[in-house]
Amino acid sequence: MTTSTSAPTRAATAPQPSPLRRRRPRRTWPFVLLLLGPGAVLIVVFIVVPALYGAYLSFTNTQLTGFAARDPKFVGIDNYTYLLSSSDFLASLGQTGQFVLFSAIIGQTVLGMVAAILLSRPWVRGKGLWGAAVLMPMIVPEVVASLTWASVLSNNSEGTLNRLTGLFGADPTSWLQVVPMVSIIIVNIWRGVAFAMIMFQAALEDVPVDLIEAARIDGARAVQIFRHITLPLIRGPVFLYLLLTTISTVGVFGLVYFLTQGGPGGATRLAAIYIYQRALQFAQIGIGSAASMILLALVLVLGLVYVRLSKVEV
Amino acid sequence: MKRTRKIAALAAVVVAASGLTACSAGSDSSNGPITVSILESKQIGIDSVKKQIPGFEAAMKKQGKNIKVKLVGDILTDPQLVTKITQQFIAGQAPDVIDLGDSMVPGFAGAGYLAPQDDYLAKWDGWDHYFPQIKKAMVRQDGKIYALVHDTGVQNFFYRKDLLTKYGVDTTQPATWDDMISRLEQIKAKNGNLPPIVIPAGTAWGGGSWAEGFQPILAGVDQNYYSLKTGKWDLKSPGWLPTFNLYSDLVTKGLLPVQDLENPNPWEPTKYKKFPAGKLQVSAQGTWGWKFDWGPGGATPIPDLETKVDTWQYPAMDAGGKTYGWSGLGSSYGIAAKSQHKEAAMLLAEYLSSGVPLADQLVASGAAPVRDDIANIKPFSGEPKLVQAGKDLASSLYVPTGDGSEQIAQAVANATESILQGKATGQQAYDAFVKDATDLLGPALVK
Repeated sequence: MTTSTSAPTRAATAPQPSPLRRRRPRRTWPFVLLLLGPGAVLIVVFIVVPALYGAYLSFTNTQLTGFAARDPKFVGIDNYTYLLSSSDFLASLGQTGQFVLFSAIIGQTVLGMVAAILLSRPWVRGKGLWGAAVLMPMIVPEVVASLTWASVLSNNSEGTLNRLTGLFGADPTSWLQVVPMVSIIIVNIWRGVAFAMIMFQAALEDVPVDLIEAARIDGARAVQIFRHITLPLIRGPVFLYLLLTTISTVGVFGLVYFLTQGGPGGATRLAAIYIYQRALQFAQIGIGSAASMILLALVLVLGLVYVRLSKVEV
Repeated sequence: MKRTRKIAALAAVVVAASGLTACSAGSDSSNGPITVSILESKQIGIDSVKKQIPGFEAAMKKQGKNIKVKLVGDILTDPQLVTKITQQFIAGQAPDVIDLGDSMVPGFAGAGYLAPQDDYLAKWDGWDHYFPQIKKAMVRQDGKIYALVHDTGVQNFFYRKDLLTKYGVDTTQPATWDDMISRLEQIKAKNGNLPPIVIPAGTAWGGGSWAEGFQPILAGVDQNYYSLKTGKWDLKSPGWLPTFNLYSDLVTKGLLPVQDLENPNPWEPTKYKKFPAGKLQVSAQGTWGWKFDWGPGGATPIPDLETKVDTWQYPAMDAGGKTYGWSGLGSSYGIAAKSQHKEAAMLLAEYLSSGVPLADQLVASGAAPVRDDIANIKPFSGEPKLVQAGKDLASSLYVPTGDGSEQIAQAVANATESILQGKATGQQAYDAFVKDATDLLGPALVK
């Protein structure tokens, strides 16, 4: 007992090199540069510079077609004013929020957690098979996933879902038109649940078994253990997942565009689709860039909130 | 340390060497034949042009010109083509010749992506055979021609004559929209209360809601909504409101297939499924309906097409008005402004817009000719419906427009969408259209 307590004491009192003084030996800098340089250059060339250029374009009336394309002008905050008073853009932000909330924050997170917990149970048989089944949606290419769901939700009587409902005597339904938002939310949950499961499985493995056992001995029920022990201990990975899934879901484009193209009547016109339509279909790069900047700002705010929440002490 | 430096130096040499290799591989050989590339985005265009390439190369060889053609076949919808080709224009990677729908030309020409063709056309003998009204319509607002139109069509209402006869509905030309609506209501009553007519509307149909849906109706009431002289759109022109009111009327009476029009590809359930199946009996449609849509080799063939289907012209909005066909400019060949082989590219465009090569293409796509010396050339001369369409051109309406047509198309699509959704009356849709179009066009393009 004496030995075990004295060692940390000695360690605590021993002189520690200040982190500021800890310098990498000069000789290793070229090697570090060689390793990090290409990545850094790619990030600057393909992310930082386009983002800065996008920010610049958002203050101009740049167009890709028409006579105005020859002579773009600086228009100050006109594009931002236009967008923030545009019911179409505000509706697309609302639809994006709805999509992120129900498909990523609630759907993927809850189902991913349930899948991770179930697969961590010792009594579950065929874990490999279950795991592979959940992972499959993540590994298929986006186009294949879209085609699969287009077939499932097809409006004719040959569509998979219509065949199923037909067994109960229901008429064929055009699911992507009758319940478009619900349809794309389900598709996105299906697509993203695997990533959530992997993240949560890894986090659950780090929860000390001793603590769980101690709680059980003290009479805690499974829900109480999850609520008061497991969840606080995996708070960091959960918020990291929420951060990642929010960012990626805000940017979802291909999956939804293939299925609905933002319709019917703009009911699934997510912000990414709105930006695509304005910038590329209608060639209004200035307005499209401003919309992108607004979306970037919103995602940054959300990101900051998540980071802040993930640091809250238990 | 030394090893690290060596590795870094080696990496730098490899990168530089590959860059130089890439550069040298990209440079043109100056001694070989000129290769001209042409983009076709529809299967019919790909097949037609592929067939004509050997003839063109041989014709050029006779003239002592060593020109080869590279066909770039890339099947795309019109919005996909606009998105893709715009990026290629900007990057200088566009093919030399691009087969474009005419509605795309003003935007590309305005931005400087297309080369003016006036000098080439002035020296071409085929230019004298172009119909005067087509020549006039090809001129853009800066007075230049940027794309050589090679086909056109007359838009009318195609109707299922077999079914209307069976229902006992009058099949003579309806004189006014009131007549038309009365007949549509009769058809609806006989056909399980299903909507009987499709006219492009809403956002899902994209630019077609304007070019193939709204504009032909608007032109029957009003042809002064755009001035080529000033390059401005008159949003207060008197035809807009009655046209929006007509759409509202059709929706309120359950005559337009609202749910189908909101499908991501609205032409599929309407033109390609219900019309051939006889579940929808009237369709706004261009001449290409005889071949491209419902012909024997078309998207969804209708057996005995010419017996089962016939056409009405657009009815007049008010009693006493004239019925009319609407003729847009169809497809045209644009030459990329950054092309290195403009002259050779223009020779290809001219060849494809003349004689047998043109007659072949017109028959394949079901289009009408834009020049006066095609009607007697086989195989076109054996297609009475297309020959008739060529004759009808002279009496059909067309209002050439310019810069801003894409923005107008967007505003019309939004406004008609609100009518389809039951969110707006004709007046409300018009008010929203004026606001939207004013925002999108900016003060320079609005009267």
